[in-house]
Amino acid sequence: MQMKEEKKPVEERRQALRIIGAIGTTCAFPFSADELYGQHEHSTSSLKSAQLPKPSFFTEKELAQVSRIADLIIPETDTPGAIGAGVPAYIDMVCSRNAELAETVRKGLQGMPETITEGVLMRLQDEQSPFFRAMKNLTADGYYTSKIGLIEELGYKGNTVLAEFPSCTLPEH
Amino acid sequence: MQQKVYDVIIVGSGASGGTLAAHLARQGVDVCVVEGGPPVNTRTDFNTHAFPFEFPNRHIPTMKLGKEGFDTERTRGLGGKSLTWNAVAWRYSQRDFKGKSADGAGENWPLDYKTLSPYYDRIEREIGVCGNLDGLEDLPDGIFQPPVPMKCSDLLVKRGAEKLGVKVIHVRKATLSRAAFGRPACHFCGNCMAGCDVVAKYNSFDVHMRPSLKTGKLTLQSNSIVREVVVNNENKITGVRYLDRVKKTEGEVRGRVVVVAAACVQSVGLMLMSKSRLYPTGIGNSSGHLGKHFIPHFTGGVQCFLKDLIGKPTTNDEGFLDHAYVPSFMHKRKRDYARSFGVQFNYQNHRSTGFAREIPGFGKAYKQAVKDRYPAFLTFSPYGEMIPNQQSYIDVDESRLDKYGLPMARRTYVWQENEKKIFKDMTDWSVRILESAGAEILTVSQTPQPNHELGGCRMGSDPKTSVVNSFCQSHDVPNLYVCDGSVFPSASEKNPTHTIMALAARTADHIADRLKKGEV
Repeated sequence: MQMKEEKKPVEERRQALRIIGAIGTTCAFPFSADELYGQHEHSTSSLKSAQLPKPSFFTEKELAQVSRIADLIIPETDTPGAIGAGVPAYIDMVCSRNAELAETVRKGLQGMPETITEGVLMRLQDEQSPFFRAMKNLTADGYYTSKIGLIEELGYKGNTVLAEFPSCTLPEH
Repeated sequence: MQQKVYDVIIVGSGASGGTLAAHLARQGVDVCVVEGGPPVNTRTDFNTHAFPFEFPNRHIPTMKLGKEGFDTERTRGLGGKSLTWNAVAWRYSQRDFKGKSADGAGENWPLDYKTLSPYYDRIEREIGVCGNLDGLEDLPDGIFQPPVPMKCSDLLVKRGAEKLGVKVIHVRKATLSRAAFGRPACHFCGNCMAGCDVVAKYNSFDVHMRPSLKTGKLTLQSNSIVREVVVNNENKITGVRYLDRVKKTEGEVRGRVVVVAAACVQSVGLMLMSKSRLYPTGIGNSSGHLGKHFIPHFTGGVQCFLKDLIGKPTTNDEGFLDHAYVPSFMHKRKRDYARSFGVQFNYQNHRSTGFAREIPGFGKAYKQAVKDRYPAFLTFSPYGEMIPNQQSYIDVDESRLDKYGLPMARRTYVWQENEKKIFKDMTDWSVRILESAGAEILTVSQTPQPNHELGGCRMGSDPKTSVVNSFCQSHDVPNLYVCDGSVFPSASEKNPTHTIMALAARTADHIADRLKKGEV
């Protein structure tokens, strides 16, 4: 399946990569030959996600509204969306630490109808509502900094060990 | 017991302090480096390889949990800012040293390219700088390791720039592209500014100071915030007074020579705070020019997407951040301002996804648009040279105390007509180059931002209008030296660290020579 194929590079990256740097012989200093920096490893543990605190700032109703809006902004496609990436808990945590942002969000939520539809968001976006802006920023930040967003969705491939930097292989060049 | 008197005390342990320490110690000079911060282990103390999702708030702290951080006002730690710099290493050109002769603005340096060139050679030979030999008049070549290949995105920018007659060259960095000096080559993890954990990137502790410890001539005294350079009534420096950062006790280190190398603003602040009967407005300030002529670089910024890369698969191209550079190209073109600018670009890493906020819309189409543009995202940052002016200076705000109870240095800067003209032109050129490279422009910065801090203690041949001479020696006090970005009389548009290190090497030779001759 397509998803499996896309995951392959991630699996590869999970393997600990190891590079052994050759020890240089040219020394500007009489004492710099030193094997301390000769070996280097990137461990697999760096791919663990931190646990977000259990949402505690918003009421149950507010959290449901936040989840609904985040889901409308970044829905599930062939990769998980905002909900799957834990974005509501992220938004709850950020708002618990930022009073100004929290007020914008809370006020906005109070003005929401019973059922929040795409049309409702569309209207807010057209009105350039600060509430919409805040929700979009929070959702985009929370999603694309999550492991699902950054690695699964965007396909981030860096932060590894390369023995050499490859020359550009785009067909144009 | 009689307190030890060192030959030389160096205040600060960054690129300048580290270079000075090594170059003095290996000539047999007894040196003490006094650093305000703790020892830092670049191999283990930084969050070098972290991802944002490892932290609940998605912000990667610079240092690992439990390690004392660098505060934002002052970079304190053994190695200073060289632990977190991006390692860009240009030589300044003759035009940079003699800009006033060319266009009448600012001030000339009291030295020529020819004077500093052997010291640039020496620094390149001992720390390793990679780059290409480009044969440019305004960016002299040096002794380089092979350059690192450009990224696809760099090549697209290069193609666009060349259509306009603008050159794009390989960046030059004090980061090893080949293993040397007992250090491995860069492994391109893309985290250069979070403390390189293999020391492929230069830092002053691992490359200059640690190897010099074995001479037995180098003492490293950390956690000691120097608060005063002490001068006696015979106009002689006797040492420095410090505050122990941990124990909060006062102490003194005695020496025959003091070099202040605490980075531009902090060095000037320390000198202004060092008041005495002979120097009531700050040590070495008989000219009244201490703190004046503050000339930080200023930057603009354009964020864009390269259309040729939109929708393409992502690649592992973090590299060592920026791999290419647009050297200054305005010197030969018609313009209505003095000096010039250069452009650093493509040094964002791809863990920064803030651009996603700016993509319009929401829902599936939005998610797809972000994904498509992700491999195409690029930042472009032109750097301009500031001309000194009366309203831009460094002083000490006696009413603002830091957490140690010491008054804080204050930066004041006002962009003048020339800066505004450069800013407009460098921003216009940035957009033009990017559009020529087929870019979709996302944001264009509208206000100059200060960057590399320079000036405030400028060098010159006239003691009435400058604070130090070309050897970084105080005009007023013969055994006081100041050696860092603060001594730059003009800033160039180029990153300053390589020049700071070359000056430090030259200053070290001068001091060692005077000590040998018994002049101090």
